Amino acid sequence: MHNEQERIISMINQIAENNISAGDESAVATIVAGHVKKFWPRRMKNMLKDYIEQGGPALHPAALQAGKQLFEESKA
Amino acid sequence: MLQHFDPNKDYGTPASLSEKLVTLEIDGVEISVPEGTSVMRAAALADINIPKLCATDNLEAFGSCRLCAVQIEGRRGTPASCTTPAEQGMKVSTQNEKLAKLRRNIMELYISDHPLDCLTCPANGDCELQDMAGAVGLREVRYGFDGANHLDAPKDTSNPYFTFDASKCIVCSRCVRACEEVQGTFALTIDGRGFDSKVAAGQNENFLDSECVSCGACVQACPTATLSENSLIQMGQPEHSISTTCAYCGVGCSFKAEMKGDQLVRMVPDKAGDANHGHSCVKGRFAFGYATHKDRIRTPMIRDAIDQPWKEVSWEEAIGFAANRLKSIQYEYGRESIGGITSSRCTNEETYLVQKLIRAAFGNNNTDTCARVCHSPTGYGLKQTLGESAGTQTFDSVMKSDCVLVIGANPTDAHPVFGSLMRRRLRQGASLIVADPREIDILKTPHLGDSVHLPLRPGTNVALINALAHVVITEGLEDTDFIAKRCEPEAYAKWRAFIAESRNAPEAVEDVTGVPAESIRQAARTFANAPNAAIYYGLGVTEHSQGSTMVMGIANLALATGNIGREGVGVNPLRGQNNVQGSCDMGSFPHELPGYQHVADPVVRNRFEKVWGVTLDDEPGLRIPNMFDAAIAGHFRGLYVQGEDIAQSDPNTQHVEAALRALDCLIVQDIFLNETAKFAHVLLPGSTFLEKNGTFTNAERRINRVRKVMPPLSGKEDWEVTVDLANALGYPMNYSHPSEIMDEIALLTPTFTGVNYEKLDKHGSLQWPCNDEFPIGSPIMHVESFPTLEGKGHFAVTEFVPTSERASRRFPLLLTTGRILSQYNVGAQTRRTENQVWHHEDKLEIHPHDAEERGINEGDWLGISSRAGQTVLRAHISKRMQPGVVYTTFHHPGSGANVITTDNSDWATNCPEYKVTAVQVEKVSQPSEWQKDFAANNQRQQKLLSEAGASSGE
Repeated sequence: MHNEQERIISMINQIAENNISAGDESAVATIVAGHVKKFWPRRMKNMLKDYIEQGGPALHPAALQAGKQLFEESKA
Repeated sequence: MLQHFDPNKDYGTPASLSEKLVTLEIDGVEISVPEGTSVMRAAALADINIPKLCATDNLEAFGSCRLCAVQIEGRRGTPASCTTPAEQGMKVSTQNEKLAKLRRNIMELYISDHPLDCLTCPANGDCELQDMAGAVGLREVRYGFDGANHLDAPKDTSNPYFTFDASKCIVCSRCVRACEEVQGTFALTIDGRGFDSKVAAGQNENFLDSECVSCGACVQACPTATLSENSLIQMGQPEHSISTTCAYCGVGCSFKAEMKGDQLVRMVPDKAGDANHGHSCVKGRFAFGYATHKDRIRTPMIRDAIDQPWKEVSWEEAIGFAANRLKSIQYEYGRESIGGITSSRCTNEETYLVQKLIRAAFGNNNTDTCARVCHSPTGYGLKQTLGESAGTQTFDSVMKSDCVLVIGANPTDAHPVFGSLMRRRLRQGASLIVADPREIDILKTPHLGDSVHLPLRPGTNVALINALAHVVITEGLEDTDFIAKRCEPEAYAKWRAFIAESRNAPEAVEDVTGVPAESIRQAARTFANAPNAAIYYGLGVTEHSQGSTMVMGIANLALATGNIGREGVGVNPLRGQNNVQGSCDMGSFPHELPGYQHVADPVVRNRFEKVWGVTLDDEPGLRIPNMFDAAIAGHFRGLYVQGEDIAQSDPNTQHVEAALRALDCLIVQDIFLNETAKFAHVLLPGSTFLEKNGTFTNAERRINRVRKVMPPLSGKEDWEVTVDLANALGYPMNYSHPSEIMDEIALLTPTFTGVNYEKLDKHGSLQWPCNDEFPIGSPIMHVESFPTLEGKGHFAVTEFVPTSERASRRFPLLLTTGRILSQYNVGAQTRRTENQVWHHEDKLEIHPHDAEERGINEGDWLGISSRAGQTVLRAHISKRMQPGVVYTTFHHPGSGANVITTDNSDWATNCPEYKVTAVQVEKVSQPSEWQKDFAANNQRQQKLLSEAGASSGE
């Protein structure tokens, strides 16, 4: 059974793994970021942001980069 | 309605599709008809109605009764008009003294062996034999009635829905031919010869024990009372009928509800229906008794807590109670603390209103629908590749296919009327490729030609589809012209490089899929070399952790072989429920407004905001599994569920139940106290499809009218309840009829701008897109271009990422789930009908090898454990499964099939991975703990319901 944080980690990692053929890590990250932006609710995006601020240890590298990319964008 | 024929008239033989016309003269009337038309049909088109008994226009001419004999100038004898093709210059006489005498003689023989109980016969008022006796002027039976006859032949009443009264049979073979030609089951035959010949089911069994699937085609075809619906026998002939659309599967068959006042006598498939052309299955044809079942909820009810008895209240009080609770939750926990779920069983108009209520009155996008758990990957995958979240064809398109690839779908059980059409095409010689862990019934089609079964391991779809595409590319079988003209070149180049990698070769994935490489190569060649190849798929594709990838893989294969944009080809998702397509179209998903328009698009939002008079949230809302997680975490506290049983249908039941128990306010609108309602605080009675007006959209994007044939039991149609709830929440909704809701949908949805009730009534149905570009709809999509940015098809790279749900020493078997013909989805409807005789419990199908290893015999109680939970089912030993794979259905709530499914889901859409669960199976002697709790809770909740004075439940 997932709690909310476990769920978002597993979801974003799964998105990264399934798009691994997109190219290098930043190409994968761009796809992951686009997916999260398009489909995730505000609350889950905020939870992802909090988790990344804590270092995001359980995230796939491309997922971590995607998350960072997203939050840079939202700051801009 | 605009029709090229009168659906209420029987023209005797099927229409010819020839474009060449021939002109002939019948009784002095000149008429031109397509070449190949029978003389009988040509005459009928000129309103010259030749007597007939063995002919009917949905069956090929047979020429056995001889009643339709005619005379043709220059020809000898009296040929049968049903089997004689009309020819240029032919001169035909249908009535003269010689023919009249011949016909009277024939009728005389028939009647000499027929009971003369017309006044008390169920067919009285609708009997072709009686009509023909009148038409030919039969006045006496010179043979008397004392000779050898069949008047004492026994009745077969084994089928719960119809009676076979052999004493009334004239052996015209219409039932036998309907079973063969229309249904494709071949359950009936004429046994014996001459005087002894009789209609026999199976190996001279009764109907129920034979292969008969109770589709009703034989009953429909019978010209006498030999095969009659039991409801007709009990109630007598109907006095009026109303055309409507079936509320079972995604085929969306048209039916005539034949009525006596507000009582439904029978459902008769409508010949004018463009999805079914007068055919039906056991569910739509016969299983409508649930609509008047004693378990129906008739009065609104409320309670403060789920362990309290229900209290029957007025609609005003129930709606007021619900609105106050929702408002106070939002006041305390914020705007995003509530949401709702729309239903694929409800109409487009109702679904549209529920998502509008959520977005406009709740003020958030927390709307989702049961498509989340079935076809959400179709929406995602087809949008990514073909630019639109929908199947590309009509059902009729299959009749032009040369190769049919069926992946993870079981059309003869789950989409039976389309399954019959597919079988008809297969009998004509189209090749069949089935990719499925089980040997499904379409593989057992009588007179099947070239066919191959690819029995892959559950969870390996993407490896298989990649291997098929690999063969197409590396053996040079791709359609280079199509790709050059119609597809994005860069995406194609990238995909091509990926798919050509040796890791995607059939030989490389053989160990993963379990399918011999040579079979995959052969299947790929058959598919790619066919002039027209079509792909049909179902939940065996979508309900995986790679569901979206697989949908894209399917689209890639269709694009690579140029099988898009004309009849006979295409990508065809077979939708489970009646309005899955519609509920998706109507903006049920949390990220998109009606017409798949994203909530983040300010131009789109602005259009909706102007019409709806509110500001809309620009962020997507919660999906169903996210709602459950948030409920358990305490952030999500109120839910409005219309016509959906998430407690039974969603995976990992114990997780779902925990989420539902955590809610402060659960509002369930349903026709029964379903499993979800047992956790509810407000129970609003729903209306069946017979009790309301609206539209359903079937799997071929066909928008069909649903028409009210009886008043709602509770006094309100479902859309009216949503309107009341919106008004009670302070958001005004004013509609006096669903047609006004459709007008609003058309105003806001680019693919629906040309849809309105007047046009639907005129054309019978419309396939979207229906707009200025396609004013009467679009049967085939993507003919010229794709609705993508550059109008080109997009190849998506489809990396195979195996599921984390794998067999292990602890859980060595893989469980996959599915459906059967007689039950529908969670069974709430079909379990309350006589369909129970075919499937009264869910069983675990297990291969003899796996059974033997565990000492399991047929009928043993089996404990099935997974990482998520445990349940107990009876064993059914079957070779349809491969060793290592077990299978069950989920039609009965106490089976707890979803107690064992996990919360693994598709990477893109969170569609649950129902089709792969690692399990262990062992013999046990008692129900599981969950089942004991379920039974106790069921008993408690039924008591709480009966204490409210409402009807008692199941």
